[in-house]
Order: sequence, then structure tokens, then C-alpha cells
Amino acid sequence: MKQAMTPEEIKEQRPYLDWSLTEHEYNYIADSLLHRLPNYTETGLFAAMWSEHCSYKKSKPVLRLFPNSGKRVLQGPGEGAGVVDIDDGQAVVFKAESHNHPTTVEPYQGAATGVGGILRDIFSMGARPIASLDSLHFGEIKDDATMQYKAEQTVKGVGDYGNCMGIPTIGGETTFDPCYAGNLLLNAFSLGIMDQKDMERGNASGTGNAVMYVGAKTGRDGIHGATFASKDFSAEHATQRSAVQVGDPFMEKLLMEACLEVIRQHPDWLVGIQDMGAAGIVSSSAEMASEGHSGMDLNLDLVPQREPGMSAYEIMLSESQERMLLCVKKGHEQDVQDIFAKYELDAVVIGRITDGGQYVLHHDGQVVCDIPVHTLVDDVLEEPSDEKKPARLTVDQPAWVPAVPDVLATLKQILQQPTVASSRYFTQQYDSQVRTNTVVGPGSDAGVLRVRGTKKGLAMTTDGNGRLVYLDPYVGGQRAVAEAAANIVASGAEPLAITDCLNYGDPNDPEIFWELHHSVMGMSDACREFETPVVSGNVSLYNENDGHAIHPTPMVGMVGLVHDINRVVTNKAKQSGDLVYLLGQIGDDFAGSEIQKMMTGDIAGKLAAVDLKQVHADLKNLLTAEEAGLVHSAHDISEGGLGACLSEVLFGTGLGMELTMPNLPTSRLFAEPANCLVVTVDPTHQQEFEQQVGQWATKIGVVTNRPALNIKLQDHELHANVNELEQLYEEAIPCLMKSKA
Amino acid sequence: MKIAVIVFPGSNCDVDIYEAWRLLGVDVEYVSHREHSLDGFDAVMLPGGFSYGDYLRCGAIARFANIIPAVRKMADEGKFVFGTCNGFQILTEMGLLPGALRQNDSMNFVCKTIDLTVENNQTPFTSQYRANQQIQLPIAHGDGSYYADPATLQRLEDNHQVVFRYASENPNGSLHDIAGICNERGNVLGMMPHPERAVEELLGGTDGLTLFQSLFDQYQMKMEAK
Repeated sequence: MKQAMTPEEIKEQRPYLDWSLTEHEYNYIADSLLHRLPNYTETGLFAAMWSEHCSYKKSKPVLRLFPNSGKRVLQGPGEGAGVVDIDDGQAVVFKAESHNHPTTVEPYQGAATGVGGILRDIFSMGARPIASLDSLHFGEIKDDATMQYKAEQTVKGVGDYGNCMGIPTIGGETTFDPCYAGNLLLNAFSLGIMDQKDMERGNASGTGNAVMYVGAKTGRDGIHGATFASKDFSAEHATQRSAVQVGDPFMEKLLMEACLEVIRQHPDWLVGIQDMGAAGIVSSSAEMASEGHSGMDLNLDLVPQREPGMSAYEIMLSESQERMLLCVKKGHEQDVQDIFAKYELDAVVIGRITDGGQYVLHHDGQVVCDIPVHTLVDDVLEEPSDEKKPARLTVDQPAWVPAVPDVLATLKQILQQPTVASSRYFTQQYDSQVRTNTVVGPGSDAGVLRVRGTKKGLAMTTDGNGRLVYLDPYVGGQRAVAEAAANIVASGAEPLAITDCLNYGDPNDPEIFWELHHSVMGMSDACREFETPVVSGNVSLYNENDGHAIHPTPMVGMVGLVHDINRVVTNKAKQSGDLVYLLGQIGDDFAGSEIQKMMTGDIAGKLAAVDLKQVHADLKNLLTAEEAGLVHSAHDISEGGLGACLSEVLFGTGLGMELTMPNLPTSRLFAEPANCLVVTVDPTHQQEFEQQVGQWATKIGVVTNRPALNIKLQDHELHANVNELEQLYEEAIPCLMKSKA
Repeated sequence: MKIAVIVFPGSNCDVDIYEAWRLLGVDVEYVSHREHSLDGFDAVMLPGGFSYGDYLRCGAIARFANIIPAVRKMADEGKFVFGTCNGFQILTEMGLLPGALRQNDSMNFVCKTIDLTVENNQTPFTSQYRANQQIQLPIAHGDGSYYADPATLQRLEDNHQVVFRYASENPNGSLHDIAGICNERGNVLGMMPHPERAVEELLGGTDGLTLFQSLFDQYQMKMEAK
């Protein structure tokens, strides 16, 4: 097949600019790497592989700040997913990935394929995925039929894919803010488990070994998805549909079972395996060859194709879903084919490993690409970025404290804010129990699974609060990790490690790059203090619409180890007579709070600094108390403040509380401080608990057997009917999803 | 007693039901949809999931699998045949149970724990439940709305073939609040709720374990009678 343009025409007409390759990069490739003009196919491959999505060329300098190693880390970033030791020869594999741009354009398929992609990352490491979480950030759904539709379809996409795969979605978060209206966020997290001996890597080596393509056929969908994700949205590109892929979870279920059968039962046949994710065949094959220090020779005519007449460029860059690339030892090609045939899946040898390090592609009787592997993967020019402290952070903003004349009315209103309210309407659409390991499902601080056949459990949470990071990227970054750690510890688990999705606007804007840089600094400092290294993750930049960036929203996915599954703690009060403790001090922490947004329509102010050392020490003490069986429930204070937190502890229990906080001004019932939790403790454990947790804990009252929440505050008293609060809390989102302008 | 759990392409609650039987210490094996025989098995389980991706219609393709005639043979011989969720859908598509499962009236997939009434405790699957016992089991389905024509519904009611009924709320629009039915002979049971997910306190309840215990006891009584 003839190439669409000659190398000279490419140089002249610069089509690569539309593929997000700069003229500087193009010239560098031609002059310094290839010493000739790249042809059309090669130019397309460079554009994809050098996109931010594949190369992290802009974010790399910042990502180096993250701690990546630790005593439990078996595999850090760079592979399909991070791998962490959980004792007994077992390991967990986890990662989160964003699929923001596809989900904004086509919510159902964008979300579904986001889940599909992350699951492939997990099983490509040799692990069976056993749980998923999501982190969803939408625009306001009130009176907005389009956003309601997008939220509905996003959730359906996540649910349909995970449900069909038979992998429980056991938690996550959903927030709403106008800043996500033009560019919503879908971050999908998945976790798998394996015996450490089954660990695989994306490696292709051994001259003569086969490169095998397995799974679904290649079509024209998703071409240039990676570069699409590396650009801003604008009205002009509102219908950029061709870049969105279509998912088939049934195909993926078969693919997963077939891959796991090969990996676990025939490790001796396999050299390496990798998901075909962003930038399809080219990224998986080039990265595997680079990892193995090998060359590769592929014949594209052998690639199973869904439609006729595809060009080399289209075949290589297609992001059709449910495909994997295997490097198989010479002589075992037929064996692998036989396994895949059992699942009625294609498994085709499309090329061989070569020595010499060249990446050679044949198509239609011609060599369409012949370039060194390292030029695609390792020679990417890192792009230095200008940065500048955002103007909004250089002016002092007056502190804002809400007036709360009617505390009950305010509490009711807060509980109905969609970010605070029950997300049951969404999470109920996820099968949270399949595989029968779910000990704590959606709605608690973290989801918890038991590890079958052991005493262990795994706790996991996703947390992102763009408002706090917007107001103070450094402290906001620290708080994202601290909140995740609080959620893990609240569940009775020891924090192990994190994955992240870094969701930001256009990094070419120096103020946005500054936000990225400083929030990563905050996250890194917190990760070091909590000894929770970053083992995997992804970066999603260019989250903008017509020049309006989202709030900087780093999402932290943290995993914790429960040493004794019978000591798991949930966020629900257990019995009347238990003592109620507030852990931590509540100040005027209203900057970026739900109440501030609710009352003023905007967020502003300064975040209080976080003492990470103190937070770490406090959380360790709480965990020790939990592991000793001293704690009946624990819930971290987040959006909506103490008022929402106490309500959530009581919902669904039939219980109430009698509390006295004579020094707490009424407004602070809605403040959102760092490092604060509410716990309930059996009175027989009072002394031991107080000794263990120390100064951090203040006893504020008792659990009662009537569903009434009564609080004596400094200047008011709250008398609330818990059933009434719960009804408002449960009905808020279903009601908003039907609201019409 | 030896139990077969059929694994279709896309089955995903096969593990759940397998582990439930293991908890009781009963001999249980996975059997591929490609097999042709269930000789040597005393009961067969059709698990939940998305056989063949739910393409065409839930359960509509699974009924043509190689193993299906062997399942039918078990039913004819009076051996126990149990289908939950997608397994129930397959049993109706096979015609071993009457009626059909349609999309939930909410149009959404729903996963939660719901209240049920044991309407008939005279079946081999429910003998250890009390009459009209109120139990809680998880549901997780998108197409669980039971439908049958009025004459069939009347026949089901007259013959006490409605085994489980939704109690406090009907989560999917099923006619007569039907959650599970058996055949006239009583040896084939299909239900949308998942008893295999309610067999351990740690996971939230044990109301489902009674079903497996009932079946196990029935089998042992049958053996003793011989």
C-alpha cells in the first residue's frame, strides 16, 4: 500500500502538528535520531509514542519526586502495574488509570473501556483481578439533563464492564463541581492478587522467539487515542468521536482466563506479556522490545483485522480493545494457540524477536518502518516546562466563616449536597460481591476483601479532593494522601502503598505546571512520611474545555493490609452505650469546604498546614487500638465535616448519639479539618483505648438506642431525627438525577 | 454426594457456588460447557454471570451448549438441578422452568441485599427453612424481572411452585413478586437471588447456607432410604 504522503511532503506540510508532535521534535527525530526524513508510518508512530500519554515527557521531571521503593515493593512504576508483597509468598498488583477524555466524549464506552484497560494491566502481570474502585468527578447534575445523562452512562459503563467480567466494584468516590462540567474525570482502579512466583513482566527477548497477538481483531477505532488525550478539548473538537474505543467485556473475560491459564500453568512457554493499551500495537511491542533490549520484526499483514484496507499506520495505532501481545518461546507457538483456541480466541504469530535493536515493520510487501527501538521509547525529548505560582495564590484572601443560625437546617442541606449525599444510587449498579470475598462494600471509608484461605484482608480506597489542591497545591497534595491513609486505617488496615492518577489542565500553562509540581511535592512528602511508596499510576493532562481547566485533582488509590480479617472496622456505630470520641482538633477549616461552596457558590481561603509526623503517629496509634479490638467503628471526617460524619456513622443502625462539645462553635460542625475521625468504643475498653490513642482523642458522648442525634454545642443545640436525615441523604442523588430546569 | 458446577464462557459466580459447597465439605467439581456428560454427579449447579456475554438474550446461547442435554437428563432422572441468576435465566431458556426473566423495571443493574419469604419449604432445596421464614439474600442482576402469562402464573401458585418471593420490596418488577420457582416435580429450582453469597457471617449473613444444607440432607436421606 502506498504511503499517504512522501517524507518530503511530510516535512513540507507538517501533518504531524495535528498529531501533537512539535516541529522541534520532528526535526530532532530526522536530524539527530534517524539521520533521514521519517516516512508517513514512522512519523505517526513517533507522534503516538512521544505523546504525553505514552512518554510522560512533560511530567517525568515531576514524577521523579515520588518515592517508588520500600521493603514491600516488588515492582514499582514502569510495568503494567505495581506489585506489593503481602506476606506468605503472595502479592497484590494494583494500578489506577484515567480515561477522562473518552468518557467526556462518550461516557458509556469511555468508562467501560477505562475499566477494561486497567483490568488488562492487572492480569498482564500474572494476577487475577479481584476488586475495582472508581473515582468519578462530574459537573453539577442539578437541572442539567446532559450532565445527568453523562453521570448515568458513566456509571453504567463502569458497572456493565466490571459486572460482566465478574470483578466486584467495592467502593470509590463521586464528586460534583462545575469545574468538571466540560471535562469530567473517570479514574478506574483495579487490584489483583497472585503468588509471587507467577509475576510476569512486559519483556520481549531471545532472538527467534515469537511475537504473538491474542484477543480481539484490530479495527479503526481509537486511532490516535493517546494523542487525543494529550490535547485540550474545545468546541471545535466536540465531536472527536473516532478516537473513542468500544468495549466488549465478554471478550475480555475470555482473554483474561486464557492469559491466566498460559501464565500460571505454562510459565516456561512465555517470555513476557503486555496489554495493548494507549497507542495499541506500537506501544506494547516497542516497550516490550525496549525492556528486553531486543529488536523486533513484525509483519502487519498477519495482524487479525476487522475491516479490509487498513493502512500500516492505522493497524499500528488502532486502540481496539481486548488485545494483548505475548512474547512466546520458539517452538511453543502452537501450544499457546491451542490454549487460546479453547476460548475461541485468535492467537497469531505476527513477528519475531531479532538482535540488533531495529524495529522493522512489513506491510503489503514493503518495509514501512525501520528505526531503532530506542528512538521510539527511550529517546523522547523531555520537555522542560515553565512554571509560575498562580496569581490567585499570591493574594491574601480573608478567612471565611459561615453563619449558621439554624444548625438543623444547615445539616439537612449539607447532607443533600451530591458530593456528601449517599452515592448508593450509583454504587448499587455495581456488583460488589461477586467472587464472595467482599467483607466491606461501598459506603464505608474503604472497601475490604478477605484473602481466601488466610486470615488477611485487603483494604482499598480512592480519594481526590480538587478543591483543596486548587487552594493550596502543596497542602492539598499532602491531604490527598493523608485522607487515603485515614480511610485505610479507619478500616483497620496498615497502609502499604499507593497508585495515583494525576488529573490536571494544560501543562503548557506555567500556572498549571506549578500546580502539578507543588501538589506532587506535597503527595511525595506525605508518601515518604507514611511509608506508602507510589508503585504505579498515570498522568492525565490537558483536562480543559475551551480554556477552562479542571481543579488540579490528583487521585490517590491506597491499599492497606488487614492482618486479622476479624478485626476489620467499619464506619457504622455498633451498639448503644458505646463511647463516642472525636480524634483531632477542629478549627475554622472552611477553605474549600462543602459548606463554603454551598453558601457562597465558590471556594476561597487558605488551608491549615498539616503536621505529617503527628498524623502518622496518630494513625499508627489508632491502628494499634483497632488491632487490639478496642474500636467498634471509625469514620474519617471529610466533605460535609463532623455533622455529616456523625450522621453517616448512625445511618442504617437504628441508633443515636448524645454528645456534648461545649467548646465547639456551631459553624465548626461543618468545617473540614485534616486528621480528624470519629470512633466509637465499648465502655469496658475506655481506659485502654484512651491510653493507646492519647491526647488525640476527646470523649464527646455516647451512642444511644433511639435514632436521635443530639449535640450540645458552644452556642446552639442540635436535635435531629436520624431517620429523617437518612431519608434526605439517601434521596438527594436520585432526586437530583431527575431534576429539570 | 458429588456436585457439578457448569462453567460457560462468561460464567463468573462459578467460584461462589463452588466455594459454598466446599464450605459444607461436599465433593464439588467444575465442568466445562464443552463436556457432554454429567454421569457420576448427583446435582448440577448453573452459576450466575454473563454466559456468552448475555448476547442475543440472557441465557439464550447457553441453552445450545454441549452440556445442556446432560443437564436436561439429570432433571428428567429426578436429580437436583439448581440455577441462580444467569443460571435461572438459562433454565427458563431451556424450558426446564416456565416463564422468562426480563430487564429490571428500573432499567438498571441492581446489587443489594433484600428480604425474601420462603413460600414453599417442602422442596428438597428448602426443607431446612421454616414455613414462611423471612430471610435476606443478595441480588445482583440487570435482567431479573420474572414474567409468565396469567395461566402459567396461576398454575405456579396452585402447585406451590413459587419457592421464594420478594418481601419488603420488589427490586425488579417481577410478577407476583416472584424471586424463585421450581418445576412441578420439585427437583429443579431457579432463583434470581444468590444464596451462595450468603454462607458466611464474615460476608454479611448465612441465610443462603440453609439451601445447600437442605439439598445435602435430602441427598443423604435418599441414600439412607435405598
